[in-house]
Amino acid sequence: MNFRLSVLLFLPPLAMLHAQHGSSPDRPFSTPDDEAAGARSFRSQCAACHGGDATGGVVGPSLATGNFKNGGSDEALFRVITKGVPGTAMTAFPLNGREVWQLIAYIRAVNIGKAAEQAKGDAAKGEQAFNTNRCGHCHTNGKTTGGFIGPDLSDIGSHRSLSQLESAILEPDADVGPDYWSLRARTKNGQTITGIRLNEDMTSFQIREASGRLRSVWKTDLASYEIVRTSPMPSFKGKISGGDLDDLIAYLASLRAQPISEVQAK
Amino acid sequence: MKHVLATVIICGLFCASALAQVSFDRIVRAQREPQNWLTYNGNLGSTHHSALDQINAANVGNLDLKWVSQAQSLEKFEATPLVVDGVMYVSEPPNTVVAIDTRTGRPFWIYEHPMPETTYVCCGNINRGVAILDSTIFVGTLDAHLVALDASTGRKKWETTVADYTQGYAVTVAPLVVKDKVIVGPAGGERGISGFLAAYDAQTGKEVWRFNTIPHPGEPGNETWPGDSWKTGGGSVWVTGSYDPEANLIYWGIGNPGPDWNPSVRKGANLYSDCVVALDADTGKLKWYYQFTPNDEWDFDSVQVPVLADLSWKGKPRKTMLWGNRNGFFYTLDRTGGQFLRGNAFVKQTWAVGIDEYGKPIKAPGKSPSLSGTDVWPGVQGGTNWYAPSFSPHTGLFYVTAWEDYHTNYFTWDQEYEAGKSYTGGGARGPIPSLSRQPFIKWGPEWGYGVVRALNPVTGEKVWDYKMRDVSDAGILTTASDLLFSGNREGYFFVLDAKTGKELWKKYLGSQVSASPITYTVDGVQYVSVAAGHSMFTFGLKAAR
Repeated sequence: MNFRLSVLLFLPPLAMLHAQHGSSPDRPFSTPDDEAAGARSFRSQCAACHGGDATGGVVGPSLATGNFKNGGSDEALFRVITKGVPGTAMTAFPLNGREVWQLIAYIRAVNIGKAAEQAKGDAAKGEQAFNTNRCGHCHTNGKTTGGFIGPDLSDIGSHRSLSQLESAILEPDADVGPDYWSLRARTKNGQTITGIRLNEDMTSFQIREASGRLRSVWKTDLASYEIVRTSPMPSFKGKISGGDLDDLIAYLASLRAQPISEVQAK
Repeated sequence: MKHVLATVIICGLFCASALAQVSFDRIVRAQREPQNWLTYNGNLGSTHHSALDQINAANVGNLDLKWVSQAQSLEKFEATPLVVDGVMYVSEPPNTVVAIDTRTGRPFWIYEHPMPETTYVCCGNINRGVAILDSTIFVGTLDAHLVALDASTGRKKWETTVADYTQGYAVTVAPLVVKDKVIVGPAGGERGISGFLAAYDAQTGKEVWRFNTIPHPGEPGNETWPGDSWKTGGGSVWVTGSYDPEANLIYWGIGNPGPDWNPSVRKGANLYSDCVVALDADTGKLKWYYQFTPNDEWDFDSVQVPVLADLSWKGKPRKTMLWGNRNGFFYTLDRTGGQFLRGNAFVKQTWAVGIDEYGKPIKAPGKSPSLSGTDVWPGVQGGTNWYAPSFSPHTGLFYVTAWEDYHTNYFTWDQEYEAGKSYTGGGARGPIPSLSRQPFIKWGPEWGYGVVRALNPVTGEKVWDYKMRDVSDAGILTTASDLLFSGNREGYFFVLDAKTGKELWKKYLGSQVSASPITYTVDGVQYVSVAAGHSMFTFGLKAAR
């Protein structure tokens, strides 16, 4: 262990001071053994909120997208783990320096976006498949300005594994997230109201109608309503060849969030 | 069922015209649809006045809280919201945009701008609001980007870099939409920036024109900056301008010269710092300018709202601009040609002995910042500042939130410029906090106090005062029923009689009002909203749902 590592290990605040001055120390404790130890710590300390596979849980966001709201540098991750994030459920964790760096090694390893590298298909051809199958009519891939009906795919490769992408194309109804559930209601005066359900509380719904109009509905004004959990997206099973499907999956997996520091740094 | 929904939703692809579109034509005629609040100041003339009159002196006692929307951030909430056909669009600190249901206060969508780990912004993680055109919302960011969002989903349509945030540039101003362009400029007057106003194509985000608020070599006005001093000359842009469609001119107030308190390194008038500039809306070419404080030594940004008022001037109609300036003077200008019509001190000031017939201030001796400190009125936050004043065509009065009998101790010192770091060449000291939010008010009244002040824009005379204990950073809303809504640092939100200044109603909101109130209707019923602390409060009459 060199002097710098010993400082980082035993005096985390000094490590932070170092980071604030802009240089990035090499990450200590990043061997496969450390990563495995980090995985064990993650399950015991983090998984309750961030999910067993770090892709997000009831309380905490996904840590597998390669992007971190409170900073993606090693220094920022170290700070968040040891100091917490004020105003959120993320409190400071009393771990020692080695444990924190091992956790960071694990978090670096679970990046979903790395899956794109294992995709069978050809991402460039997949972009053609995206266009020929008119995916852009409902989805944006970050290049088109239209396509606000379905989920934003411009960084879907950071959020979904290859198998999840395949399932979403072939069986859209298999996993429709609550962001895309719809309200179908009839008012007491006989009017039908439908739209994507954006919010629901005791007294009201907030919805986006097919026209794009945002509106709210008082529950007391409704004679009946149901929440529709199926997807308006048609299944592409049998409509897309195996090769095209692999290419499309490879393309979607390649659509990843740019690390903020790369976008912004001058 | 699935097919029905698919049909309904696919219809959305082709039936999108059903979504309310805020055309520029609607924005120009914003005063004809007082049920909405379509621009930062309610209309392009920035009068912050509404034709609504349901809430009036007789029933204002029945004002009741309708809803509160708490921001996720605990930073100071300075934004003025827009309301379009039942949806409120507002920016929360630092750069989060929220679409809120005005009936319930619940969100439709939230956009969070990904931020770099380090920002270089000067004076708090502030954002003052958004603009709309058609179905697109525009917001500036602390990393000096301009972002376009789909109004229906909150999804990003495009993002463009306005300036390099690592050099101290940030966009805190609510954008101004004129025709097919979105206009913003950078904050950073305390970071040694060299400012500009830039117009971007609303469809693509591509820059269409740029006007350097600190002229570059070869541009007129650069001769007012010795040597390379223009490079760090400030001239920030952080409060939204106005637009006159007949003249096709945009009017914008420009920030202080840099370094703030050391004019010895920038001898000259320092154009266009502390000016109002009138620019051709299509080309960005300068039509005229008027400089309120040449070679400013006290940080008197002219970052106030240009209020456009059509007055009867010496028996004839005249298109004027009303300006309560941070330097403590109240001006009436001709907005077509930029002529100085009149100006007088509207608060106690000691830096000038007066204004000459051409509108140039005559500086008083011995008031420059010094090594040992110099007391000057008004203090560093000025006689007024960025918060909206109001002009009521009903009363014919100009209303301004003022800091009266307020001074600070100004210092100067030499300072080397370092990119992205504070570059002020001095400082200011006094017991009244410049920017921070704190619950205690303990200083003696000899350090100053806040007033809402009604001024006659033809004579400059004071008509009435509403005196407060603390100073105030709240803007002013007036309505056709001759009510005036405002608030203060003490945490009160209050309603005055716009004719007399008599207090009609007030409510303690628990934290400072540091924003400008707006009004609109929900299901035909008048509501009033204002940000206080880190929440958006909305009031309406008790009888309303």
